[in-house]
Amino acid sequence: MSLTSALSIAQSALQNTSRQTSTVSRNVSEAQNPDYARRTALLSSTGPGARVVAIQRVTNDLLFRQNLSALASFSGQSTLLAGLQRLTLDVNGSDNATSPATVLGKFQEAMQLYSAAPSNQNLGVAAIDAARQVVRTLNDGSDAIQSFRTSTDSDIATAVYDLNKLLSDFEQANKAIMAGTRTGRDVNDSLDQRDAILKQISEIVPVSTFTRGDNDMVITTTDGITLFETVPRAVTFSPSAGYAPGAPGNKVYIDGVPLQPGTGANTDAAGKLAAMLQLRDSIAVTMQAQLDETARGLITAFRETAAGSPDATGLFTWSGSPAVPPAGTLVNGLAGSISLSLAVDPLAGGNPKLLRDGGINGAAYNRNPANNASYAGLLIAYGDRIGEPMAFDPAAGISTNSSLSDFTTNAIGWFEGMRKQASAASETKEALAVRTAEALSNETAVNVDVEMSLLLDLEQAYQASARLIKAVDDMLQALLAAVR
Amino acid sequence: MKTTFVSSSAVSSALRYSILRQQAELTRVQKEATTGFVADRGLALGARTAQSVTLNRDLERLSGIVDSNGLVSSRLAATQKGLIQIGDAAQSFLSSLTSSASGDAAYALTQKSARSTLDTLTSVLNTSLNGEYLFAGTNTDVRPLNDFQPGSPAKAAFDAAFAGYFTFAKDDPAAQGITAAQMDDFLTTVVEPIFLGAGWQGTWSNATDQGITSRITLNETTETSVSANDEGIRKIAMMSAVVGDLLDSNVGNAARKVLVNRAVSTIGVAIGEISQLEAQTGIIEQRVSGATDRIKMQMDLFERHILDTEGVDPYRASNRVSELLSQIEKSYAITARIQQLSILNYLS
Repeated sequence: MSLTSALSIAQSALQNTSRQTSTVSRNVSEAQNPDYARRTALLSSTGPGARVVAIQRVTNDLLFRQNLSALASFSGQSTLLAGLQRLTLDVNGSDNATSPATVLGKFQEAMQLYSAAPSNQNLGVAAIDAARQVVRTLNDGSDAIQSFRTSTDSDIATAVYDLNKLLSDFEQANKAIMAGTRTGRDVNDSLDQRDAILKQISEIVPVSTFTRGDNDMVITTTDGITLFETVPRAVTFSPSAGYAPGAPGNKVYIDGVPLQPGTGANTDAAGKLAAMLQLRDSIAVTMQAQLDETARGLITAFRETAAGSPDATGLFTWSGSPAVPPAGTLVNGLAGSISLSLAVDPLAGGNPKLLRDGGINGAAYNRNPANNASYAGLLIAYGDRIGEPMAFDPAAGISTNSSLSDFTTNAIGWFEGMRKQASAASETKEALAVRTAEALSNETAVNVDVEMSLLLDLEQAYQASARLIKAVDDMLQALLAAVR
Repeated sequence: MKTTFVSSSAVSSALRYSILRQQAELTRVQKEATTGFVADRGLALGARTAQSVTLNRDLERLSGIVDSNGLVSSRLAATQKGLIQIGDAAQSFLSSLTSSASGDAAYALTQKSARSTLDTLTSVLNTSLNGEYLFAGTNTDVRPLNDFQPGSPAKAAFDAAFAGYFTFAKDDPAAQGITAAQMDDFLTTVVEPIFLGAGWQGTWSNATDQGITSRITLNETTETSVSANDEGIRKIAMMSAVVGDLLDSNVGNAARKVLVNRAVSTIGVAIGEISQLEAQTGIIEQRVSGATDRIKMQMDLFERHILDTEGVDPYRASNRVSELLSQIEKSYAITARIQQLSILNYLS
């Protein structure tokens, strides 16, 4: 009886060893898969010999959650930074070379040259060309911001589609896990898949999870909005085909609750959805307001005045011309609609001398009725007005009382300050995401060397078991020979 | 038993992140080493970028003002030269008048001197620089001083005024009988209003009283030209025209004596006024060149400040480049070693 039992123990050991070997081989083959958690074959002893009870999946919940939250933060911050980089290039150009502040400086320079020699009409045309550049920068900047908002809007739509897709994948994985857990099947592969989906989801919205009976997982956003509970909750968003300045964007609803956009340059937005909402509804809108206020400042600085007549727009005009836009109040989309007065623009057949003499709005506004060639008073007055303090709308997010020329540089300061903070924050959040991923990988991923040394052990065990069987066989042979 | 565990993927990707960071920094530092300025102003300065943009913009504007101040200075220098010529001409006219008043020189000589003074005055006042008449006030595309010649409106107006007062022309024999008192009254009530009063503008001068205004620093403007309508210039024009015209006529000696005496006193005053004008022009010249010096100093300060805020030490930058290069090389070497490090090499 004892020989037979030795034989059966050795047989069972062979079986165990081969199962363990298959686990090792699985581990080795998945060594470079970041979503794979290491398996170990747990042996527990039962009656005659050992028997494999379970294949265990190594997990570390704490690190996994940390990694999810770091991923969400990094994803939000890097989305914000990328958006800021794109905006600064589109609106201000490389090194702010085509920013409103820079072209305004060039225009001031051209005006200075013209005022030094007002009899030289070429300088007048050059000054008007510089003014055209300012107008074009504002128009282009406004267009760029609105197309940025539109493309961000479609990115949001894509992210929402992805999120819904991920949630339905999650449902499949979750169902498989629940069913497997109930029937005691090996659900490790489904668990891997579910964790991988969670990582992808947390790049879009920040999640927190808890697990109920039968390994059923519930996902909510960190704000507490339910994303998945038995079934995925609907994430809805209707994209807009195009954006006009000042037009609000549509909200993203998760389970009927609107998702909040992030705030600040070191953004509290976790996940790229909140960061994109912040870019679309806060940063781009403020930037547009700054361009609009710059346009209003220009129109106001170059207004024409005359005793007994109302002030009227001069070199720069808008849809409301000849009325000057009301002081200190934002006019949405002004930067997109500002243009040069046709009466002055030589390309439109206008008379550039009107810039020197005034009178764009008729003879009453002419400051130089004698048509003196070197009259510079008005040109100098225009130059002074660019440097005079004026009131700006608080919606532009920067100084409400400054000169036009300071306002434009303050706008750059506002933006670059934000970009610097965002870049620094992105670096630290990236480092955290990398570190937590590494820590998680160290806890749960495979070390090939360890697996190989395990394999050596298994090989030894297998050989020993085989040798045992051989020995028992020999003994039995000897016994049978004695009987024969 | 729980032991320290390291996963294979963590080992092989440990250096990947740091190599990426180092390479990103390398591109940045390379740019800094070659340009001498920070690679990305916005990222380096943050909110202070506003200051940097303002400084760079003001620097350009200041250099524009330095250029336009050069233009103003050359205008003022030419004006100064013109005023000296006018002063000299008036001086020699005065000496000719004095010798004529004391009876040493014939009236014919004085008349010639008056003519040449008027010619000098006309040619100097009608000088142009860069296509702008210097003494025209702001009306720089029109000759400031009209000719006083037979057939010209100024001449016709003067002849008409003479005929209107005396009821005969200056070459009429009756002119011989003009008394000293009559001439004195004519000079005071008719000639002076023509030149010093309302008759000047349009007939004689096309200049405006207002001179050219120029911005000479970022926030300082000043008048930087002299107008032909200045009192001293008008007086010289008046006396040289009247003396040159009436000494070449039938006007009698009594009246001529009054005329010459009046001319002596008026030109004497005018010379004083012209030198006053020269002094004023000199002061403005001084102010403009002072402004230019101040601006240049300001520009130096701005440039230094820009270098302080945005510049990088090129030696440090190039040191950093070589440092990074060797670091990256080390990372590569370590990565290669790690890849070779595997238990598989020892299993056979």
